Amino acid sequence: MYSNAQYYNDQFGNLAGIKVDINDVPSIVPIDPANTDYQNIMKLVEEGKLVIAPAD
Amino acid sequence: MSTLKATNLQHASSASPNIVLDSSGNATAGGTIAMASPFAMRNKIINGAMEIYQRGTGTVTLTSSAQYTLDRWASTEDTDGTMTVRQTTNAPAGFKNAMYFETGTADASLGATQYVATTQQVEGFNIADLAWGTASAKTVTLSFWVRSSLTGTFGGSIRNGSLNRSYPFTYTISAADTYEYKTVTIPGDTTGTWATDNTSGLVVTFGLGVGSTYSGTAGAWVAGNILSATSAISVIGNSSGNFYLTGVQLEVGTAATPFERRLYPQELALCQRYYQAATVVIPPSSVTAYQFFYKVSMRAAATVSSAGAGFSTGANSTEGFNYYQTAAANGLITASAEL
Repeated sequence: MYSNAQYYNDQFGNLAGIKVDINDVPSIVPIDPANTDYQNIMKLVEEGKLVIAPAD
Repeated sequence: MSTLKATNLQHASSASPNIVLDSSGNATAGGTIAMASPFAMRNKIINGAMEIYQRGTGTVTLTSSAQYTLDRWASTEDTDGTMTVRQTTNAPAGFKNAMYFETGTADASLGATQYVATTQQVEGFNIADLAWGTASAKTVTLSFWVRSSLTGTFGGSIRNGSLNRSYPFTYTISAADTYEYKTVTIPGDTTGTWATDNTSGLVVTFGLGVGSTYSGTAGAWVAGNILSATSAISVIGNSSGNFYLTGVQLEVGTAATPFERRLYPQELALCQRYYQAATVVIPPSSVTAYQFFYKVSMRAAATVSSAGAGFSTGANSTEGFNYYQTAAANGLITASAEL
């Protein structure tokens, strides 16, 4: 469901979120513990099933 | 049973009748009528009439990952069969739409952990008045219209957001291919943890075929994650199985009241707290001042999607975000803060 995850920064260089494909749809997930996608991504990372690449 | 026949009801100290009844069943009160449950905004289910379908994706084949189709409703199929869901205009009198499930490939022998179900998660803020998890927990009543090609005992459940407290329930469909109205009264849970913030407060589930691991005895609260009642009908177990659902209402009290009609824009706005979509001009990355302001405040900072090359956002909150992509173009932006 989640693939190609990468942190990204806004134009000011601040961490802005995670770029990730959700069911192959390019999406941007905020760094917000109340966001369900963020919760799911962090769970996959903890389980070793997903790696989030660092920001460019 | 006895019947009290009267036209007027009047307090001993009142100079005139307080409540006047007529032969058509109308009652006119001269003062305030106070009720233990509210007159308005009774229904804790959003889009219970299945009219709002912002995603508008037509017929959707369900997968093992929960999919939102009609607003606020998420459905999952994790079996060896297949099932589709879509919005339909085949609805009972007084309703415009229903949610329609149809078996594609049947799975007549579900494994213990296999299931098909549709759910609505109710935000914690909206169930705080239930006082669940305390000695003051209030009774609720779930009511809905259903229709199926199958007859017999169907099942569902109410769970907490942590999915470790469950109340399986049953209801009976007596006649095939005919809409029937059902009510289920559920005592409030005096134990367990029930969120009262912007996270998942409770989960209403309708089972369409649930294996033994996620099935339990109907009519009692249990610790655990139970989706449906033991031995309930499996819609996916039948190659011609189908299931229609609409008019879903969850309210405080021991009796179901008529389905609460909210105006379409009101219902849409309630849905937009969890999902919004709009086609807008997306500027090039050299221009980063474009702001997307949500139509209503989102439940949480939303997951934002758009198919444009190089699409990106800056600061993202429950109120909006700024956005851009490699080259300017019109684009569909969706924002999801579903539970």
